Amino acid sequence: MTTPAFHRIVRRETHSPRTVAMIIAVVILILALVYVGVEIVLDLLTQPALLAGPEAALAWIVGLPTAQPAGAVVAGGLALAVVGLVFVFLAVAPGRLPKHEMTWPDRAVVVDNGVIAAALAQRISDETGISRDHISVGVSHRRVDATVTPGPGGSLDAAGVHELVDAEIAAYQLVPPVATRVRILRPPESDLDR
Amino acid sequence: MNDTNRALNRTILLLVGIVFVALGASAVIVTVWPPAAEYWTRAGDAAGAWVDQAVEATMIGTTTLSWLAIAALALIVLLVVVLIVTAVRIIGGGRSHTVFRSGAQENPLGRVIVEEGFVSDALTHSLEQRDEILFSNVTANDVRRQPVLHVSVTPRQNTSPRDVVEDVDQLVTNLATMTGGDVPTFISIHSGLRARLADDQRRLA
Repeated sequence: MTTPAFHRIVRRETHSPRTVAMIIAVVILILALVYVGVEIVLDLLTQPALLAGPEAALAWIVGLPTAQPAGAVVAGGLALAVVGLVFVFLAVAPGRLPKHEMTWPDRAVVVDNGVIAAALAQRISDETGISRDHISVGVSHRRVDATVTPGPGGSLDAAGVHELVDAEIAAYQLVPPVATRVRILRPPESDLDR
Repeated sequence: MNDTNRALNRTILLLVGIVFVALGASAVIVTVWPPAAEYWTRAGDAAGAWVDQAVEATMIGTTTLSWLAIAALALIVLLVVVLIVTAVRIIGGGRSHTVFRSGAQENPLGRVIVEEGFVSDALTHSLEQRDEILFSNVTANDVRRQPVLHVSVTPRQNTSPRDVVEDVDQLVTNLATMTGGDVPTFISIHSGLRARLADDQRRLA
């Protein structure tokens, strides 16, 4: 019964709403429109224009190809086009947030990637006895990267850590699933190297 | 979570973006490419002549005012109002204050109405007791006309998200037993500044 609702919630929680970008775009549009309106009103009241009256503005637009300095026109045009491209990109890109869905019976669960990374690092630290400060874990949309630096003179079996991370990840049942990568860095010769 | 119309958000962004790209690109092209400049000037002159003629034809009586300017002004005001109304309507909505309601027939406990405030207080107080949970917030939202409980939890760093969900799940189940009705529940687990600043180990006390 609640599956479509849950699906909707999880999708909305794991993707950006783009509300801020929309508001910025709308505010820019409104400011431009208000400016044009003010110029028209000033012209109707035969008051001096703020920058250019409607007639002068139209003439400037018609004369754009020969407007000076040409460099400024090109730069302004490019800047406007870049802002436009950013808006188009934001409209089309999925806007995925750094979160994962966790499969759970009868509940919808969404977890920040940072929480998963910290929990994995803690688990590795608990199991291997390596200090938490020498373990870094990064969780992205489809992969987990764990980097472990064993203590001086110590060594560590990458396969073991891999297995450990895989087991922990399997317990979370993340959607979408993540692939694990483990890197064991060479331990420093002595404590002084740290 | 709210009822923000995200498709509309993106549609507005796309349209504004395309307009900006078109304007910016035309400005660049007519400046650096002579054939385009020629075309632009010709089209511009034609449009200018048309505007002059239109202004002439729409003069109000013997004044120097043109209906055209008034119409342009009215159009601008209309557009601004539509933009503001759309932007405000897109955002927000979807809050629900009654989490659960049941009649005497369907519920062995009798007629029960559960409000958001009660559930929120009950769950946040229970979660506050747990040392590994730094912050929690409970709200009720309407999703597809159905109240859904949203439990948002920020645990201490290095806490297993599985343990946190298990705790919350248990609390919600207890609440359901007490009130006689299970409410669909969405649990979100957050990291963030609060988690990063707090000690990452549980206090043993």
